[in-house]
Amino acid sequence: MALTDILFALINGAATGSAVFLVAAGLTLIFGILKILNFAHGAFFMIGAYVAYSIIGSNPSSLHVFIAAAFAAAAAVAALGFVADRLVLRRLRHVDEAYMLIATFAVLLVCTGVVKLIWGVNYASINPPPLLDGAVTAGSLFVPSYSLFVIAAGLFVFLGLELVIHRTWIGKLLQAVASDSWMSGVLGINVPAALTVTVIASFALAGLAGGLLLANQTLSPILGESYLLLAFMAVIIGGLGNVRGAFIASLLLGTIESGSSLVIPNMPGMATYIFVILFLLAKPQGLIGGRHI
Amino acid sequence: MMALRLGAILFGAALFLALPTVSDQGIVFLAGLVVIEAIFALSWNLLFGFTGLASFGHAAFFAIGAYLTGYGLKAGLGVPFLGLIAASGLLGALVAALTGLVLLRRTTGIHLAIFTLALAEVLRIVIGYSTLLGREDGLASIPKPTLELGFATIPLTSGTAYYYFMCVAGLVIGAVLWVVCHGPYGRLLVSIRQDPQRVAFLGVNVGRKRLQAFILSGAVAAIAGALYAPWAQIVTPESAHWIHSTQPMLASLLGGAHSFWGPVVGTVLFSIINYLTRNLVGLSELVIGATLLIIVLAAPSGVIGLVRTAQQRWSRRRKSGAGPDGDEGGSVRS
Repeated sequence: MALTDILFALINGAATGSAVFLVAAGLTLIFGILKILNFAHGAFFMIGAYVAYSIIGSNPSSLHVFIAAAFAAAAAVAALGFVADRLVLRRLRHVDEAYMLIATFAVLLVCTGVVKLIWGVNYASINPPPLLDGAVTAGSLFVPSYSLFVIAAGLFVFLGLELVIHRTWIGKLLQAVASDSWMSGVLGINVPAALTVTVIASFALAGLAGGLLLANQTLSPILGESYLLLAFMAVIIGGLGNVRGAFIASLLLGTIESGSSLVIPNMPGMATYIFVILFLLAKPQGLIGGRHI
Repeated sequence: MMALRLGAILFGAALFLALPTVSDQGIVFLAGLVVIEAIFALSWNLLFGFTGLASFGHAAFFAIGAYLTGYGLKAGLGVPFLGLIAASGLLGALVAALTGLVLLRRTTGIHLAIFTLALAEVLRIVIGYSTLLGREDGLASIPKPTLELGFATIPLTSGTAYYYFMCVAGLVIGAVLWVVCHGPYGRLLVSIRQDPQRVAFLGVNVGRKRLQAFILSGAVAAIAGALYAPWAQIVTPESAHWIHSTQPMLASLLGGAHSFWGPVVGTVLFSIINYLTRNLVGLSELVIGATLLIIVLAAPSGVIGLVRTAQQRWSRRRKSGAGPDGDEGGSVRS
């Protein structure tokens, strides 16, 4: 009995962690290269969810449609990212950190306002597609198959990012820009283009996360905030801007969150915040410090 | 220019004082909230605009004051109202001292932001869990107090009386902060914001000054919360939510973080925008967000900065080029 509880908490933690990582991936990417901590990320995640919802409605007909809608949301949010880069982010490259945070927070407000104007403030709930609405049982262990899907999606995005950043030409280029953008410019790399590509990729990840995490949660204009804080913590603990660090940190936070709901069910989130505070006091530079992405 | 500024302050004060006689209860309630939020924003800006520290969990101090005073009034402990306000300020200062001792020594910038945010969220969860403090429902039906001054007893049980009391309290707190910020101490804080390293070389204990500013700011925020509890008559864990922490930031930046009255101007503007856009859901966020974006991107010194630049241009044109050249370089003026 106790063992199944623990196993269940672990799998649940991995699912929560993967969900957090899906949001944190774009956040850490944009921080690693542009050095902007993007408050608006949560809002674009939410927009992605709403776009996907508009495509598939409350009852997606099949898994393919569900995934296709997520990719469509990614494309739509990527386009928004291009606009946001041109209008806002591009102008924030040389201002003080605090102003960056506040400017991106302003973008968050604008997006929340737009979402409320377009989709209203009513809650919507979306069922998982047919293949994922059941559960896998092994003995007395009972795991929703949608959780497994989220874990797989998290792994997929993580491995994809790893592959692109460490094994491809464009990844090396982005690493160069991240570690010294001035020197990269001198060497003939088109730094502004690299930054724009990063922004678009980061926003596409936000939209994708919105589409993939759509099911099994209530869609409302405060969706952006709920994941944003956890994703922020994951990015900070991971060592700002590091994808591997963010992945490990997300899983860690997810496990703590679901483990603590087993031990102290009355205070959701408490253990996570305390862990973050203690961790940062002990290791302010994060899990993987330095200038890597 | 001095006369203009003084005139603006007097006009604003007169407007606030005359409000209960010319408008309905709803507007007076909002005006009272503006006074409270303005004090709250001033306390935050003491950290950000003057000392250069960005706290993202300032609502925690506000909630500490609000819950202490709210609980004291509701439970009928027999503590005089001014005593409760003072106790709120002291508790806020104490909590600020304890957290500041640990945090300020180790962190600045983004880390400080995340730390303060996480601590405030922990407080919110603890409050939401505490049966004594009414869990998620908060403390409701908090009675309005009676002011005992020793020589006189003034009942503040009517909305208007309490409103005037808040106006006076706001003026006193504003005046105290103005004196602090414009004396040698305020100058020192500004120089710490501009270049902590150089100030340290000059023999100033930068860490201690930052801690002092943090404590003062926490105390004032808690007092703002203390004033809030009897006015709203309900205090919920939402007052410690991080969204509430962003309120003073937005107000300070909108008004102008590098001027003393900026946060007050920003708070008033925000309330006006919120009031005018109240009928269409989502519009207020859109307008506030867009305004803020324009401010940050085009005029980082806020509305007051814009007015100041316009004034300078105008006086320069009048004196045909003999006017003072722009010495905006980050110095803080009233």
